[in-house]
Amino acid sequence: MTRGLLWKVILILLVLVGFAAATIPTKDNPEPIRRGLDLKGGTHLVMLVNVGDAVRLETDQASEMLKAQAKKGNLPIPVTRRVNDTTFVTALPPDTPTTEYEKIAKDYLPSFDESRTPDGAMQFKMKTASQTAIERDTITHTVETIDNRVNALGVTEPYIAPEGGNRLVIQLPGIDDPARVKDIIKTTAQLQFRLVEGDAAPDAAGALASVPANMKTEVDVLPGTKEDALGRAAGTEFYAVRKTVTVTGTDLKNARVQKGQLGQPNVGFSLTPDGARKFGDLTGANIHRRLAIVLDNRVVSAPVINGQINESGVIEGSFTQQQAADLSLVLRSGSLPASLTTMEERTVGPSLGRDSIRQGVLASLIGFIALVLSVLLYYKGAGINAVLALLLNLVILLGMMAIFHATLTLPGIAGIILTLGMAIDSNVLVFERIREEMRDGKTVRAAIENGFSRAFGTIIDTHMTTIISALFLFQFGTGPIKGFAVTLLIGLFASVFTAFFVSRVIFDVMYKAQDRPTEISI
Amino acid sequence: MQIFVNSKYDFVRWRFHAVAFSVLFMLLGLGMFLKHGVNWGIDFAGGATVTLRFRDAVPMDRLRADLANASIQQYGKADANAVLIRLPELTKEADYAGQTVDRLNADLNPQGNAKLDLNFYGRDRLAELLASIDPDAKGSAAAAKDYYKNVAQDIINKRSEVGIFTNMSQVTSAPGVTTRIAGVLNEKTYLGTFNVLGQETVGPQVGRDLQMKAMWAVILSTLAMGLYLWLRFDLMFGASAIVCIVHDVLMSVAFLMMINGEFSLNIVAALLLIVGFSINDTVVMYDRVRENRRKLKTRMTLNEQLNLAMNQTLSRTILTSGSVVIVLIALLLFGGKVIHEFAWILLIGVLAGTYSTVTIVPAVAIAWNNLTGRKHDIAGPANRPTRVEPPPRQDAPPTPSQRKRKAG
Repeated sequence: MTRGLLWKVILILLVLVGFAAATIPTKDNPEPIRRGLDLKGGTHLVMLVNVGDAVRLETDQASEMLKAQAKKGNLPIPVTRRVNDTTFVTALPPDTPTTEYEKIAKDYLPSFDESRTPDGAMQFKMKTASQTAIERDTITHTVETIDNRVNALGVTEPYIAPEGGNRLVIQLPGIDDPARVKDIIKTTAQLQFRLVEGDAAPDAAGALASVPANMKTEVDVLPGTKEDALGRAAGTEFYAVRKTVTVTGTDLKNARVQKGQLGQPNVGFSLTPDGARKFGDLTGANIHRRLAIVLDNRVVSAPVINGQINESGVIEGSFTQQQAADLSLVLRSGSLPASLTTMEERTVGPSLGRDSIRQGVLASLIGFIALVLSVLLYYKGAGINAVLALLLNLVILLGMMAIFHATLTLPGIAGIILTLGMAIDSNVLVFERIREEMRDGKTVRAAIENGFSRAFGTIIDTHMTTIISALFLFQFGTGPIKGFAVTLLIGLFASVFTAFFVSRVIFDVMYKAQDRPTEISI
Repeated sequence: MQIFVNSKYDFVRWRFHAVAFSVLFMLLGLGMFLKHGVNWGIDFAGGATVTLRFRDAVPMDRLRADLANASIQQYGKADANAVLIRLPELTKEADYAGQTVDRLNADLNPQGNAKLDLNFYGRDRLAELLASIDPDAKGSAAAAKDYYKNVAQDIINKRSEVGIFTNMSQVTSAPGVTTRIAGVLNEKTYLGTFNVLGQETVGPQVGRDLQMKAMWAVILSTLAMGLYLWLRFDLMFGASAIVCIVHDVLMSVAFLMMINGEFSLNIVAALLLIVGFSINDTVVMYDRVRENRRKLKTRMTLNEQLNLAMNQTLSRTILTSGSVVIVLIALLLFGGKVIHEFAWILLIGVLAGTYSTVTIVPAVAIAWNNLTGRKHDIAGPANRPTRVEPPPRQDAPPTPSQRKRKAG
């Protein structure tokens, strides 16, 4: 063996050992090749973030700001009306000088453009840049909140990422109670403490009727769960609550499940210093009145304030243990800035994944054995060469997947065996060329030499076409199909190496040792 | 062993028959399309599927009564007691599959949530239940939670192994279950009638987006392929390669129409793969045509050039397609339901790719040549232009200028 050849053999062995080592499970890395959700079981969700919610909130806050500043400056308080998510108009009382309002708009509403409608009303429209910024922040904040929630649930290796078009992709491997996880993710969890006006009533009109006339425009009517004497849910009732919200979920420091006096589960909370001050003011000034605890626009409970409360309190409601645990979890992780809509869900249970692996591996093994047998039958000695190259290709493919943390999916398993079926093509091209050269009367060495060099261009072309389509496949695919495209791409690159370099070295080792080989088994 | 040594088949002669056959095949597919329309899977149409495995025989009547508009079919073998329920298309975004599972659970497991259903719920609920009772007195530390989580995982693994629990002794025979845990399980849990193997919901918006994405992916990859071959060879080759790809894809789609198969994401993946793979035979053949031109000694028409190259590469074509076909047949027979249609479509695509290389591609190339003044009929050395070219080295690929002159 010449020196150069020896180095090549060593290089190949190093590659073999290196990639094989990458696929061996260790204590720190028990699963070197990660299984996709379709094999391991788990849930894949695509959720739409309704960013309009956050934009609308900003617009509402801006119109409140305009009113508050008008009041501060002793100007007539304008009546505002929101036209859409980004725009509100205000018709000023006749004969009021508009310059004062324009000044307020300039000082306090910097993210809005002010203009006039045809009938002379002031119109405020959010600047596009501001809207984009709010939408972007909303997405970021939503991802963070969901991340907190799934981590609190103990999901291992979750994947949460924006996908464009205000969508989020959420992948939760190994979960087996998708309904609960979806509920927890989707709960907006906007907690508010709001004073109750009037009395609870079985319908919205009744609740509003019990409110004093001068307060009617200052309240919202919200539904709540009615409880019987034992604290069990018994239908719906309605409350009129103040529009003004001083204490919200953002003032919470912590929330946890507690046991009530009768052993029923409820949620205890503690407040931040700032929140505690506000809560103390609110409760201190309204002793003996009812305070509604509103979660996502629904009254959870409306206890009577018995005394000033500063730092901590309890949310009681007809909760099961699970509901109380889930509520404290979402309160701890913070509220979502916008509501979510499920656009796509794919859940694979653990046993289906297990069946898939078994079938996929069985089919691949049978395919592989059939492939090896037919190559050996057709090419004899050179067939061994091709099979060795094929095995090395497989090792490289699996090793690369481990190194790049690629995910193995069910189509991916099919992709591996299919890649090997295609990788044979390179060997076939070379071997057929060698046979032709032999038929033309070339020597063994010349035939090998020419076989490889002539097939080179063709092999590059056939690989390029398949690589192009694998790239489109990757671009197009979601989840399992992406996994397929990845295995295909890695396999194609590996096959150029094995068919050209490795297979050539094997031939050289076999025939260069002989002085003048006259026969080749092909 | 060697096959097709020095074969001299006149492939070109059969090109019109082949075109007729392909057109007929596609028309048949078109007919089926007009008759049935496209059987869009939920990936594209939107909708939901729920796959359930039952403890006993499938209660078909109850399912049909509960789910009026759904189509319910057997999933896997008959003795697996599993069904695939497909719910009609969604009109607005909603958690359709989840709601269906809830409804069936309420109807088929009337015990409700008084006890934990070990066939319905999974590891996390079970771990929570065990940790809250703590039969093995592990305390409330994090280690205790892990302990019960592992026990719960063992039980769920056991369930995956047996498919679905049919009696409590299967549950208590799981590795981590101690006598005390078994006591708690017997008291606090029961075995419901079904297990959810999987559920999918695809909203109408995602479905529409995917349809567009799939269409563009197939079209753009076809064009990219044509562009690559145009740059690598010439315009005639690029154009006939595009026709060849379109042919292979249409043949596969026509076949899908004939078996009224479901148009799913996996099918699109198969079509994209066909775009890239079935063209390989054509590339190999063209490579040969180009190489032959370089050492041409006598005058040769394009028809003769194509026939020669096809015969020279025939054994390679058969072998490569053969090895992929072997693999695909293994996937088809043993790969399970999820990749079944995927393997079928790929198989048709690969066969169509091989067939079109020796029929459709020459048909297009020859027609192109005839319409553009037979520029591809290469003159032998006697009639060559006077300009002398250096003889091309046998082992080196031609330079672009050489390629152009030879081809033109």
